[in-house]
Amino acid sequence: MRRNLALLIFLLAVLTGCAGSPGAGSALPDLPEVTASEFETHLAGLGRPAVVNVWASWCLPCRSEAPLLTRAAETYGNQIEFIGVDVQDSQTEAKDFLVEYGLTGFDHFFDPSRAIPNHYNAFGTPVTLFFAPGGELVRAHEGIVDERTLALNIDELVQLEG
Amino acid sequence: MEFSLLWAALTAAAATWVGLQLWSERIPQNATDRLIAATLFGLVVGRLIAMIGQGVNPLTNPAEIVVIRGGVSTVAATLAFVSSLVWTTRGSVNALDAMAPAVLLGLAAWHGGCLWSGVCLGTPSDLPWAWAQSGSQVTRHPVELYAALGLGLAAVIVSRLGWRPWLRTGVALAAASGLRLVTEPLRPSLDGGPTLWYVIGVTIGILTAVFGDRISEGRQTSPT
Repeated sequence: MRRNLALLIFLLAVLTGCAGSPGAGSALPDLPEVTASEFETHLAGLGRPAVVNVWASWCLPCRSEAPLLTRAAETYGNQIEFIGVDVQDSQTEAKDFLVEYGLTGFDHFFDPSRAIPNHYNAFGTPVTLFFAPGGELVRAHEGIVDERTLALNIDELVQLEG
Repeated sequence: MEFSLLWAALTAAAATWVGLQLWSERIPQNATDRLIAATLFGLVVGRLIAMIGQGVNPLTNPAEIVVIRGGVSTVAATLAFVSSLVWTTRGSVNALDAMAPAVLLGLAAWHGGCLWSGVCLGTPSDLPWAWAQSGSQVTRHPVELYAALGLGLAAVIVSRLGWRPWLRTGVALAAASGLRLVTEPLRPSLDGGPTLWYVIGVTIGILTAVFGDRISEGRQTSPT
């Protein structure tokens, strides 16, 4: 009986400990909404390579990618611009997602109509786009990105810049 | 993309089966079943640990367990795989030793499966056999093929070793960990890879190969 009670408490602790907390992102400002052409202009003006991750709060694989992108941004943030594009989402859920999965370390844009990935002929969510300095699309990775693919394509951008 | 991983996994499974046929001496009954069970157990444990590390609760998001490309903890998966094999072959040290070359061959094919999953390339290189990603000018080491060749060679070497208890198992573990260790600097990585764990794997492998027979003798002579 005691063992079962301990197991139940443990399970509840795990469930509540890992569960998302609605409203966690309320302190964040709304994500700026941009059109595809405004986004293109933004990339062209950066003057350095960029990794653009297209995500949504309802996208399950996007959760798995989040820690990877955070680590990549921490490691390469001084050489490469990391940008998130939240698609087909609501501001509230998007901001909760950012806080819950620790993606607050880089800038994100709001794209409810999915115009930005459509502009680059990138389908599905998540998508990770790799841009050369000046905003030229080098590669589009559709689907969940693994560490090797992310690291390899970041290295490609670093080589371009070098 | 998930299908490319599946092809790599099927290649590995086929190579393991070939290994079991090639080096069939002392192979226990149901070796294929044990290897499949150990591989699945390793994958699930590795994926669960990766999910927890990513802050995703497996209990509230069970569907994500099958998203293998979302990340698998190599260390956890390896520990679970080896533990499962040790558990299912308990009482028969020779069974593990007999399966070791086939496992190495399967690992070699898994690395070679990068040709399907598109992640063969490592750090930039000007060597004649280096190649570039499509649309890129940067030629790179085909690092996963280096690992595949090394593991294939290790499989052949291990298959020719004697039958001293734990020798083949220990050498196989040391070879697999050692090859990952020496090829790791050639892999693009966000944080350098789990090199400490590879060093631990090499150390445990060498200790197992050298002192494994003494452990077996101790067990056999100890009072029950």
